[in-house]
Amino acid sequence: MTLSVVAFWVLSVLLVGSALAVVLSKNLFHAVLWLALALTGTAGVFLLLNAEFLAAVQLLLYAGGIITIVVFAIVVTERLIGERLSQTSRGLGSGALVAAALLAVIVSILLQRQLPSTPLPQTGDLTRMLGEQVLTTYVLPFELLALLMLAAMLGAIYFARPEE
Amino acid sequence: MGLQAYLILAATVFCIGLFGVVTRRNTIGILLGIELMLNAVNINLVAFSHFSGTITGMVFTLFTICITVSEAAIGLALVILLFRVRRTVMADHLDLLKG
Amino acid sequence: MMSDPAILALVALLLPAASFLILAIVAPLRLLGRPAAYTSILFAAGSLAAAIGAWRGHAEQQVTRLAWDWLPSNGVSIATLGILADRDSTLMLILVALVAFLVQLYSVEYLHDEAPAALGRYYTYHSLFAFSMMGVVLAPNLLQLFICWELVGLCSFLLIGFWYQKPEAARAAVKAFWTTKAGDVGLLIGIILLWRVAGTFDIGELRTLVTSGAIPVEGLSLITFCIYLGAVGKSAQFPLHTWLPDAMEGPTPVSALIHAATMVTAGVYLLHRTVFLFPPDVLMVVAWIGAFTALLAAVLACVQDDIKRVLAYSTVSQLGYMMAAIGAGFSSAGFFHLLTHGLFKALLFLGAGAMIHAVHSNDLPRMGGLAKTMPQTAIVFVIGTLSIAGIPLFGGFLSKEEILGATLAGHQTGPFVLLMTVAFLTAFYMFRVVFLAFFAVRATHASPLHVAAGPANHLRQGSGGPPKLQAKPEAGHYDGPPEAGHHDTPHDPPAVMMLPLWVLAVLSLGVGIYSTTLGHFLQFGPGAEGAAEHAAPGWLTPAAVGVAIAGIGLAWLVYQRRTIDAGRLASAFGPIRTAALNKFWIDDIYEGILALALLAFSRIVGWIDRYLVDGVLNVVSAWTVSAGGLLRTVQTGRAQDYVYGVAVGLLILILWMRWALT
Repeated sequence: MTLSVVAFWVLSVLLVGSALAVVLSKNLFHAVLWLALALTGTAGVFLLLNAEFLAAVQLLLYAGGIITIVVFAIVVTERLIGERLSQTSRGLGSGALVAAALLAVIVSILLQRQLPSTPLPQTGDLTRMLGEQVLTTYVLPFELLALLMLAAMLGAIYFARPEE
Repeated sequence: MGLQAYLILAATVFCIGLFGVVTRRNTIGILLGIELMLNAVNINLVAFSHFSGTITGMVFTLFTICITVSEAAIGLALVILLFRVRRTVMADHLDLLKG
Repeated sequence: MMSDPAILALVALLLPAASFLILAIVAPLRLLGRPAAYTSILFAAGSLAAAIGAWRGHAEQQVTRLAWDWLPSNGVSIATLGILADRDSTLMLILVALVAFLVQLYSVEYLHDEAPAALGRYYTYHSLFAFSMMGVVLAPNLLQLFICWELVGLCSFLLIGFWYQKPEAARAAVKAFWTTKAGDVGLLIGIILLWRVAGTFDIGELRTLVTSGAIPVEGLSLITFCIYLGAVGKSAQFPLHTWLPDAMEGPTPVSALIHAATMVTAGVYLLHRTVFLFPPDVLMVVAWIGAFTALLAAVLACVQDDIKRVLAYSTVSQLGYMMAAIGAGFSSAGFFHLLTHGLFKALLFLGAGAMIHAVHSNDLPRMGGLAKTMPQTAIVFVIGTLSIAGIPLFGGFLSKEEILGATLAGHQTGPFVLLMTVAFLTAFYMFRVVFLAFFAVRATHASPLHVAAGPANHLRQGSGGPPKLQAKPEAGHYDGPPEAGHHDTPHDPPAVMMLPLWVLAVLSLGVGIYSTTLGHFLQFGPGAEGAAEHAAPGWLTPAAVGVAIAGIGLAWLVYQRRTIDAGRLASAFGPIRTAALNKFWIDDIYEGILALALLAFSRIVGWIDRYLVDGVLNVVSAWTVSAGGLLRTVQTGRAQDYVYGVAVGLLILILWMRWALT
C-alpha cells in the first residue's frame, strides 16, 4: 500500500461522495459548497497525476471563480431554501437508472481492456513544457481562447446590465 | 494505480453529473451537474496524458478549463436574465418549445 | 373460288351496309328525310334482286363459301369473315330482303308526317338492320353470327325506341334489349365453350367434326343449351318472351319487319343451322318449351284488345311452333314454317298498320265494320288470317301440318297435344280480330269508350264484345304516328301502302296453293337434319284442318252471330282470364326479383362502401391523428428531457455497438 494508492482511494471517496452530495442536496447553497469540495478533490487527483500546474489552475479558476459566480447567481435569484428532494428533483428513479446503466456499460468496457498500469516516464519540468507547447504548437487555440473569453466577458456584462 | 482506476473514477463522476443534469429542477442545479461532468472529462484527459508520457492531454485540459469558465459565466448570466423575465428558475416552467 | 351466286349473295349483303354508311355519314342527305328514304329503298330493291339471283344460282345441295382470314393467331386465323350461301341461307336472304324492301316502301307513306330528320334516322336504322340480319343469315361461322346477332339486337333497340320521346317506347326498347341480352350471354358462353371443345367457329367444320364422330354429341348438352338460350331470348320463348308484346311501341312497319319475319326468327334460324350439335335431351327441352310458349301466348292473345298485341302474342305462339318442330328433330319443317310465317305475319302487321292508320287507334273495340270502308285491306287481312289458321290453299297450311306431323314422328306426344290446342286457339283469336274489326258494327264516337288512362273496371257499351276488366290503362292507346289532322272516315290506305300488302298476300296465297296442290314443300339444302320428309299419319290433315275450322266457327258464333254470349264465355274461364289479363304476372315477378336483387345488392354495396371502404380510411386517419397526438407528448419543451433523451440514446448506441456488432 503505497502512499499514492492510499491517496488515490481517499481522493476518490472524497470526490464521489461530494459529487453525490452536489446532486442530491435539497439546499442549493449546500450543493454549491459540496461542489467546491469536489473541485478541490479533482485538484488533488491532478496532483497525483503529476499535473501540478493544472492543479493550481483548477483551484484558482474552478474552486475559486466558478463557485463565486454560482453563489452570486443563487443570491440574485430566489429559491434558496431547500424543500423536499422530490420537489427539487424529478424523475429520480429513471434518471438514476439511466445513469447507472451508462456507468455500468462504460465500466464494463473499461474492465475488459488492457490498459497500461504504469505511467510512461516524463522528464523535465512539466510546467515549463506546458507553457512552451501552448505558445508554440497550440498558439492558435490559445489566441482563440483569449478571443472567446473576451466575448464571454462582453456577453456576460451585456446580459447582466440593469434593465432600462 | 493504473489508468483503469482513473478512468473508472472519471466515469463515475460523469454519470453522477449526468444524473444531476437530468433530475434537478432548479436551473442552477443543472449547471452544477454540468460542472461535474466537465470535471470528470478533465480527469480523463489528464490521466491519459500522464499514462502516455505526453503533455498533450494537459494542454487540452487547460483549454477545457478556460472554456468551461466562460460557459459558466454566460450560463449564469442567462439564468439571471431568465429570472428577470420569467420570475422563475424552475426548469419545468421553461417549456415554450412544447409541441 | 368466287362464283357468281356467292358474289350475288355478297352484293345482297353489302348493299344495305352501303346504304347505312351513306345515310350515316352524309348527314345532309339524311336530314332531308324523303331523299334518304328513297336511297334506302333503292338499295333495298337492289339487295332483293341480288338475293333472288343468289338463290337461283344455288341449285340443290350446292354450297358456296367466301371467306377472308380475320383474326390471325400463330399463323393460322382463328376466325374468318365471309358468307356461306346455300339453299337455306339464300331463301332466308330473300325473305329478309323482300320484307325489308316492302316495309321500307310501306313506311314512306305510313310515316309521312314525321319530321324529315326523324325519317332519315328511321331509314338509317332500317338499312343497318337489313345488313345485320343478312349477316346473321349468311354467317359461315359462329363468331360472325354472334357479331351480327348483337347488331340485330342493337337495331331492334333503336327501332323500337324510334319515338323515344314517348316514355313507354323508351322503356320497351330498353326492356327488349336487356331481355334479349340475357339470352345472348348464354349464346356467347355456348360459342366459347364450343370453340374450346371443337377448336373452330366454322359451321361447316363443326358439321364435319360431328359427323365423323370427333365430337361426341352427347357431351355437348351444356354447350347447346347455352346456345339455345340465345334463341330463347331472341325468339321470345318462355320465360324471355316478355319483351315482344311491349315492343309493339315501335312503329307498325318495324313490328312487321323485325317482330314478325326477321329478327325473332333469327333464333329459329340459329338452331336450324346448328341443330346437328344438339343431343336428344336438349332437343326435348327445346320442344317442350316451344310447345308451352305456344300455348301460353295463345291464351294471352285471346284476351287482348290491342290489335298489335294480339299479333305480337301470335308471333310468340308461332315461334313456339317452329321451336317445337326443331325439338322434334325435323328442323326443316320449322324452317319452312319460318318462311311462310314471315310472309303472312308481315302481311297481318302491315294490314293492322293500315287499320290503325285509318282509325287512329290500336283498340279493337274502336274498330268495326271496316270491311265496308276498307275492302282491299279486309281481303288481304283475311288472306293472312286464313294462312295463320292453317286452312288448305293458304300459306301456313302445309307448314303447320308439317310441324304437327314432325312432333308426332319425333314421338313428342305431349307437345303434339299442346300444339293441336294452340291451333284451335290460334284460329279462334285471329278470327275474333277479323270479326270484331271488319264485320261487327262499328262503335260510334258517342258511346262512352274508354280511352287512355281510365278506371280499373268499367263496362264498355256499343259494339259487340265481352265486357272487359282493364287491368292496366293501356287499352285505347295509340302507337301510330302523332296525329296530324286526318279525316274521320276510315278508308283503304294509298297505293304505296297497298302495294306491299298485295305483294305479300299474293305470295302467301301462291305458296299455299303450290304446297297444297303439289303436296310437298320446297326442297331445302343441307341444313335439314333427319329426314326432310316424314310419313304423317293419314288422320293428321283432317284433324288439323278440323280443329282450325272449329276455332273459326267458335269465333263466328261468339263475335259475329252473338249466339254465345262473350261475357258468359269469359266468366266460364274466369281465373284463367284474370291471370291472362295480368300476363300471368310474369312481368311483375321479374320486376320484383330484379328490384329485390338490385336493392339487396345495392344495400350490400352501400354498406361496404360506408363501413369498409370509408371505414378503413376513417380508421387510418383516426389512428394517424391519435398517433400524432401521442408522439407530440415527447416534445415537452423542457431542455432537461432532451438531455435525457440524448443520454438514453447514447446508452443504446453503446450497448448496440458492444453486443450487436461484436
